[in-house]
Parts: sequence; structure tokens; C-alpha cells
Amino acid sequence: MTAALVAERGTGSAVWRRFRRNSGAMIGLMLLVLLVLLAVLGPLLVGSPSTQDLAVRLAPPSAAHLLGTDQLGRDVLTRVLSGARISLGIGVSVMLASLLVGSAAGLIAGLLGGWWDEVIMRVTDIFLAFPGLILAMAISAALGPSLTNVMIAVAVVSWPTYARLIRAQVLALREREFVEAARALGSSQSRVAFRHLLPNSLAPLLVQGSFDVGNAILTAAGLGFIGFGAQPPTPEWGAMVSETRNYIAQAPWASSAPALAILVTVLAFNLLGDGLRDVFDPRKGV
Amino acid sequence: MTYILRRLALMVLVLWGVTLGAFLISHALPSDPAAAAMGNNAREEQLADFRERNGLNKPLATQYVIYMGQLLRGDMGTSLRTQNGIVNDLRAFFPATLELTLVAVVFAVLIGLPLGVIAALYQGRPPDLLARTFALLGGATPVYWLAILALTLFHERLGWLPGPGRLDVYSLAPPTHTGLVLIDSLLARDPAVFWDGLRHLILPALVLGAYSAALLTRMTRSALLEVLSQDYIRTARSKGLTPARVIGKHAVRNAALPVLTVLGSLFGSLLTGAVLTETIFSWPGIGGYATTSAISLDFPAVMGVTLIAGLAYSVVNLLVDLAYGFFDPRISFS
Amino acid sequence: MSQQTASAQKIHSFSRGLALALSLGLSLASAQNARQSTLVIGGDFSDLITLDPGVSYEFSGSLVAGNLYDTLVIYEGNDLKTLKPRLASSWTVTPTATGSRITFKLRDAKFSTGRPVTAADVIYSLTRVIALKTPSSFLLTDVANITAKSLSAPDAKTVVMDIPKTANPNIVLALLTFNVAGVVDATEAKAHEVKGDFGTAWLKDHSAGSGPFVLNRWDRSAQVALDVNPNAFRKSPNIKRVILRYMTESAAQQSSLNSGEIDVAWNYTPDAFKAAQSNPKFKALKTDTFMLSYLGMNSAKGMPFEDARVREAVRYAVDQDGIIDSLLQGLGRKTQTIVPIGLTGSDPKIYYPSNIAKAKELMKAAGKADGFSVDFLVSTGSCSGGVPCQDLAAKIQADLAKIGIKANIKQMVNSELYTTYRAQKAPLIQADWSPDYPDADGNGTPLSDYAAKSLAWRNGWNNPQASKLAQTAAIETNAAKRLAQYGQLTALLAKDGPFAILYQPYKPVVIQAGVSGFSRNANGDVQFEKISKK
Repeated sequence: MTAALVAERGTGSAVWRRFRRNSGAMIGLMLLVLLVLLAVLGPLLVGSPSTQDLAVRLAPPSAAHLLGTDQLGRDVLTRVLSGARISLGIGVSVMLASLLVGSAAGLIAGLLGGWWDEVIMRVTDIFLAFPGLILAMAISAALGPSLTNVMIAVAVVSWPTYARLIRAQVLALREREFVEAARALGSSQSRVAFRHLLPNSLAPLLVQGSFDVGNAILTAAGLGFIGFGAQPPTPEWGAMVSETRNYIAQAPWASSAPALAILVTVLAFNLLGDGLRDVFDPRKGV
Repeated sequence: MTYILRRLALMVLVLWGVTLGAFLISHALPSDPAAAAMGNNAREEQLADFRERNGLNKPLATQYVIYMGQLLRGDMGTSLRTQNGIVNDLRAFFPATLELTLVAVVFAVLIGLPLGVIAALYQGRPPDLLARTFALLGGATPVYWLAILALTLFHERLGWLPGPGRLDVYSLAPPTHTGLVLIDSLLARDPAVFWDGLRHLILPALVLGAYSAALLTRMTRSALLEVLSQDYIRTARSKGLTPARVIGKHAVRNAALPVLTVLGSLFGSLLTGAVLTETIFSWPGIGGYATTSAISLDFPAVMGVTLIAGLAYSVVNLLVDLAYGFFDPRISFS
Repeated sequence: MSQQTASAQKIHSFSRGLALALSLGLSLASAQNARQSTLVIGGDFSDLITLDPGVSYEFSGSLVAGNLYDTLVIYEGNDLKTLKPRLASSWTVTPTATGSRITFKLRDAKFSTGRPVTAADVIYSLTRVIALKTPSSFLLTDVANITAKSLSAPDAKTVVMDIPKTANPNIVLALLTFNVAGVVDATEAKAHEVKGDFGTAWLKDHSAGSGPFVLNRWDRSAQVALDVNPNAFRKSPNIKRVILRYMTESAAQQSSLNSGEIDVAWNYTPDAFKAAQSNPKFKALKTDTFMLSYLGMNSAKGMPFEDARVREAVRYAVDQDGIIDSLLQGLGRKTQTIVPIGLTGSDPKIYYPSNIAKAKELMKAAGKADGFSVDFLVSTGSCSGGVPCQDLAAKIQADLAKIGIKANIKQMVNSELYTTYRAQKAPLIQADWSPDYPDADGNGTPLSDYAAKSLAWRNGWNNPQASKLAQTAAIETNAAKRLAQYGQLTALLAKDGPFAILYQPYKPVVIQAGVSGFSRNANGDVQFEKISKK
């Protein structure tokens, strides 16, 4: 037991050393720190994202409006900055929700085995076979369009991945010595799960999680694009691209700015995910 | 053989689960499909009549039993909006999506595989960096924005490629056999329409396939790198085989497994990705049909789409699993 | 490298070979002719469900059905006040003991099938609509108050229609111009009947009418192709084929009109329309509509707009000019009463010049000086005049915020929006209304009479005086009296009613400069046979 803990700590600092040497991961991390700073501080620096000024609608970028204005004369930069909170919030909460549900399901399936395993795995099969966006559309339509419902919808389609991941980890780790040792020492099932199996599955979960934040942001923005998401005047990035796409000929900046914001954010999470995988599993990549 | 039978049984179970899920979700809607179908100005009596005719006022369980009964006879029911049989509607819309998806998969493979191989061969050098940049950008760009950009640039500004739709306005569609323009035009021995159809496919398929191509580049690269670092490849190399030969002979074969897995899941995500691409490209496929059906609360239609997408996903994944047998060296070498 | 060049060359010669094959197959001249005689309209036709004239009740369906089928009488072009003959060469209205009788004399006409149009076809076409209970059948049963028994044919060229006193014969004639009264070839429809469906399944994507065009084929969600009908009495001298091309996105229509792929674009956004106005390549047409874009304020007891002063405050607060000048770029007309401009009975008076101070006073008088918060239901997609609904909603939200009303926008798909609205559960809604027939009563009754269970009812506004006025005016046959009654009714609604009219939209249509003879009237009809193309 103690041996396992020591081993973990040792891995931790080695991981950080490898992480620092991984340029992709570092770029991703720095981008993320920047995004989070913008999300936290941005709204304090600029005014309200809903202030309209019809006199300057669809104005090109200028000193007064660094990224121009949209069809209602709202400042695009202000809206993009305010949207950072929303998109990051969606991404992280969807990831956490599906991680929680998925890990619980995966742990139960892996540890209890038998019928539990069979039933849970078949349910994940069904969810995986379900066309994601259509399911999300249906849920969104059923519950009414709102940000919360978009998050629920995206979480519903992404939890099975975690369930499978954790189950595979549990099956692999179950036979490993330190788990068997803990068992032999009389640890309870749940203790084994929370003290040993879960911490040791952290690496693949982190990797999958960082990819999933990006995916969730993309999917949520896609739902926002077809009108199933945030309500006006909420500056959700996907909805912003959708609202301004009718004006792309007159004001390309208005839809490009939020689209690029989505791109950069997803990119940051993907870089981080790639980096984490390389770091945790040095055989792959680099 | 027993493996295939077991898989087929599982597939039926999964599809049943999908129908049940779709049924529950669509019937949990607190809204009134009659109002959707009969329009804004309809009178109350008309709505009541519509509900009666379409069996919407029966209890939920009864509706489900009726639906499953129909389904077992190959009848997916009638669309509330179009008043057509769902099977007919799907037959009209599915081929367009299938054709787009297949071409997108072909593009994804044609772009993703070579890029992944090149990246692995030139690990850490400029070609690798370029390929990885493509993979990163392709995986992070919102598909609808890419679609708008592509249409504006290649159609409107440069005029290289045709605009929205499957065929030019002046080419009348070939007689429908398969519903796939490329095949129907060949059956009709009409090379002009074939060419026209192909040109119309390029932009939407590239846009739809971009994400998959990016993912495939990454997977191919990392799978190859892993294989290349293994002992038997080192042995082969030390025997004096050139890298290209090593890749061709051993590595590609072994790297095919993870790539196949990705392909299977890609096909599923492509079908849903088509929802967004089809909107921008006015593509008469199942994505647009699904969206309109969801908007007009056309439950039977939404369930039909869900079922067909679930079926496509399951079939492709079954095929992928079977293909493992051909690629897995432990099976083919023994 | 050399390999790449070789394959590029191969592709190149392949395409050249194909082009050669193409030019051999079609002579250049005939290809040119095909382009000149084909009219291509790009638009959002996703509302197209059926081409059966008796069933179709959507804008796109009416547009097509009007060119496939003929009605007995019609409004030609932009004159929506004078009935013109179509299949009926003449008609008379005579009073009877129970109401009135309209007698139609049919002209000589042939269906595209070659059969002559007879009185039996007319009666079959109307009775099948009544029997089928289609979305538009209420026009015949509830408004015209006719049943199968009201119709008779003394001879093959005469149709007699008896209507009761509860229906106004002028309104009946007006609604007979709609595609719901389009005449189908009874023999053909009966030949394709399945399980007593009066041929609806077949007529959904086939045509059997006497109009200037016949349906060639309808590739769902792709395009509708109409070919000229050689048997028609409305001849189409120039256009031999019309193609309605599905293009949901306004941006797609813009790029296709720019590239010359389409001749007519059906859904331009106001800003794109403005750009097209100054482009010599295009003609930008502002076509009339009878539509009204409005805010519905729920006035039922306990609802936020129960107090008439709050409703007035909203009417003072809404910046109509800003909406029309900026968001719509002029694609709307300012009006504040419930009868649209262009119909007898409309009132051009501006009752509520924009006045925030006045609005605040009214809020204070109503005891709502601190304002309140309310759910604001809005449709997804595009609103009338081509403006995206969400932009309009955001603008109104900002206007209402100035008088303390916090409107929380809830975008809903149309179906859900109307379900909530119908259940009287919409506290504040932004919607469009289009009359079912071009007559003041098409708005008068639904917008004022609570008993009609339409818009007044949905907004919980029950005003017995307004109901009475609407009912009287509907059946009044004396033109001067009727005008006075509508004057009273519109004034009453402007003062007390549950609506804040936002604008009366124009429908923007952009066509290539070489297209002439194109006209869309306020009913939404376009006569394709009058168009020519250079």
C-alpha cells in the first residue's frame, strides 16, 4: 500500500518533467491559462455584451471596435470575450458530468462484473449507436432550448466513453499486484475502487477529459448553430456564428471572430490532451 | 460463425434499445405535433381530428405497441408532417447522405492515411510538423464555419467548384435506381451527369471529411510510431530493409487495426456531422430531414432517422470487427 | 513529382473528353435555348409538403399550385380588389331566402391530361377538400359555410353554389381565388385513388390541372421542375421550364445569384437586399404583403399585460423606425392598426409616435414604475421581411428595457411556439400574421373577436364591443357602412388591444436584370407564364 503511494508520487514529478519538455502540451497549457484569464478578467475590462448601437451596425474593425460590430451594432470583441466564460463553462461541466456518470458506471461494471457488467455495457452500446447530434436535438427540443439543456444533451452522449475507459482500466488493474495486495489485506470493494483503481486510472481519464472538453465545446456550438442552444442575446460562440452568418458578405469579421475563438479553444484542449498522452505513455508519440 | 451470430443478436438488442430511447425521448415532448402539422391558423376541431387520425390520443404504451408491431412488419409508420410513409421518406433522403458520407470517408482516408504515414516517417521534421498542424486545425475547426468559408472561397470568389445542391440546375437527375447520383448516372450511361455529380460532391465531402481526415492522420501517425518502435520492426530494419519497405510490409498492416477502429466510429459521427454540412450545402439528405422533423415534432420521422443511423453505425462496426480478422497478424499468420 | 503531373494530366484530359461528349450530345444552340427558356428560382422551400392544391396550405405550395391549377375566379397581378375571370367566364350573385347563390359559367378549358374542364370537376375538387378535412378546408366549411350539398351543376358548364346568411358572398368569392379551390381533373384523381383518399397521395407529387405548367418531377429537398402545359389557355410563350431550387441559406442564394446559377432569389436578408439594390446586375423587388409582424401581449387576468396602460406603454416604447430603417433596411412599412395597408379598412394613422417619457408615465400610472420581468417567446429562423427573428427580438428586448420591462427571450421552433401560444400561455410573443383571404375580415375576426378562438383569444383579450364590431363588419355588404365599422374597430384595437404592430413587411425578391415580367402580388402569387428571360 505504501509502496504504491510512493510509486505514484514518483511518477507525478517525472510526469511534470516530461510535460515541461513537451512543446505541444506547454503551448496548449499556456493557451488555456490565457483563455481562462480572459474568461475571468475579460468581462471586467469591457462593457455589456448586449449594448446595441444601430448607428454603427456591421462596422468593420476600428479603434473604437477592435473586432468590428455585428448586425445590432454590438461590439464583437466584447461579445467574444464574454462568450469565453460560457464556452469554457459548457466544456468543463459537460466533461465533469459525463466523467462522473461514466466512471461510476465503468467502476460498477468492472468491479462487480457478471450481470452488472453485461447490462451496463449493453446500455453504453445503445448510447454509442445513438446518433449524437440527433439525440441532442431531441433532448433539446424536449426540454426547451437553453444552455443547461445543451449541457445535459451533450453529457448524455459522451458518458459512455468514460464508462468503457474506466471498465477497461479496472479489468487491467484488477489483476495487478498492488490491488491484489490491498484485497488480501482486507480492503473493502469501495475502498479498493476509490483508493487504488480510480487514482491509477487518472492518466487516461485526464487525456480523454481534455479531448472531451474540446469536443463538448464543438458539439454545443454546433447545437447553438442550428438554434437549439443559448438564447439571444447570450454571446455563446456557436450561436454567434449562426446569428452573423447571414451577414457574412457584409461583415465577415462578425462570424469569423467567434469561429476562431472556438477553434483556438478546442485546439488548446487538444494540444493539452495530446501532450498528456505523450507524457503518461512515453512509448507513443514524441 | 457463432461470433457473428452473437454479434447480430447484440445488434438487434442495441437497435431495440435505440428505438425505445427514441420513443421515450420523442414522447416526453410536452408539445403538440398536431399544431405543428396543421399550421398557425388551424382551428381546434381540425387539431382534434388530426390527433384522432394519427392515433396521438392513445395511451403511450398502446402507441409503443402499435409502433413496434408496425416496425416488425418493416413499416416505420407515417410522417406527421409529410404524411408519407417514413420508409419512403428515408428512401428519398438517405441515399444523398450515404453518398456524401462515403465520399467523405474516401477523402478522409486518401488524405489522412498518407499524411499520417509521412508524419511518422519524418517524425519531428517539417513534413511531420505540417501534418500535425493540419491534424490539429482539422480537429478544432467548426464544420459549419469551414463549410461557409469553402463555399464563399471556392464557389463564389474563385468559381472553381459548383455551389449548393447535388447537381447543376440544368442537369436533370438520372432515373433513380440506387439514389446515388454517381452510380445512377453511370447506369444511365450519362458521363456528363456523373461528372457534374462528382464536382458537386467535392466541397461538401471535403468539408465533412476534414475532421475525420485530421483524426485519421493522428491515429495513423501514433499507431505507426508505436509499431515502428517495436522489436520486430527494428529487426527488419537492421536486416537492411528500407523504411518504405518496412512500412509497406509490416507496419501498415499492424497499424491498420487502430485505424480501422477509428474508421468505424467515424462513419457514425459523419452521419450526424452531415446535419450541419447539409444545411449549408442545401444537400437533400437525411440531416436536413432530421432537423426539419425535429423542429416540427414529427416523432415517427425522428425515430426513423435515429433507427437508420443506429443501424448504419452498428453494421459498419460489425464490418470493422470482422475486418480485424483479416488484418490481425496472429490470425492471418497462423 | 512526375507521377503527380501525369495524373493531373490524366484528369484534365478526362474532363476534356467529358466536355466533348457533352457538346456532342447537346448542340450548343439548344443548350443556349434551354437556359433562356428555363427559369430557376432559389429559395427556402422547406415548407413544401404537397402539391395537391386542396391540401397545400404553405406559401411555397400555393406558389406552385397557382401555376399548376386554375381557380374559378382570381385576382390578377397587384390589383387585389377586382375579381377577374379564370375558369369561370362570368358569375352572378343573387340573394335567396336562406342567404345567397353564386352561379358560375365555365369557359372552355382543357386539363393537361387533355380532358375538358367541366362543372363536375369543379364540384369534385371542392367536395374532396371538404371530405378530406385538409389544413385549408376550414376556409370552405367554416368561412364560406358550404357543404357538399351547397354545390350543384345544372349543366356541364354551370356551377351553382348556395351559401347561407352567415357568410359574406364577397368573402366567399375572395377565398375561391386561393389554391384550396383549385380545380383538379376529377377523372385523373379518381383513377389514382387509394383507400378513399381522393387521390391525395398521388396528387402530392403529380399534377392534373389546367394551369400553364405541369409537374415534371419533384426531387424532395432538392428541386421542383415544372414544364409548360401545352393544353393550357394561359400560354407561357417564353418560359418552358421552371425550377424551384431548394436553398435554405440566404448566403447560398446570394452566391448562386452572383454566379448566375439562379435567376431569382427568394430569401434575401435586408442587408444583402440593400447591396443588390445598387448592383446593376440585379433587380431588387420590394413586393407587397398583407402580413403583419406584431407583439402579442397576454392581457388575461393576472398576466403582465392585464393593464391596458402597460400595453400602451409598450406601443410607445417600441422603436418602429429603428426596426424598419436599420434591421429591415426599409423592407417594411410603418403601420399601427390591425388591418394591413392595401386592404379596404386599413387606417394609416400613427397612434403611437415613439415616446419613452410617455411610456414611462403610463407604466407609473399602471403601478409598474419599477418594471417587471417577462418571458418573451420568439421563433427560430427568419422573420417576415427577411430579418432573422433573433435580431428582431434582441432589438425589442433593448427597447423594452428602456421602460423597465426585462424581456427574457425564449427562442422556440414554430411548432412549440404556436402550441404555447394556442394554450394562452405566451406572456409576450413576437409573431407574424397573414390573413387567410385578402379582406379586412381576414384580420378583423381573428384579431378582435375572442369567440373566434384565434389571436384575441390566445392573448386573453376579451372585449365584447370589439367582438360585436368584427362580427357585424364581416357580413356587412354595404361598402360605406363596412368601412366605418372597420374604422371603429381598428381605433378600438389601437387604443386597447393586445397587440403592438411592429411593421408590415415587404417580401424581398432579387432577380437577374435580364428577367422581365416577374411580379409577386401581396397574396404571394407569381404568374410564371408572364416571365421572360434574356
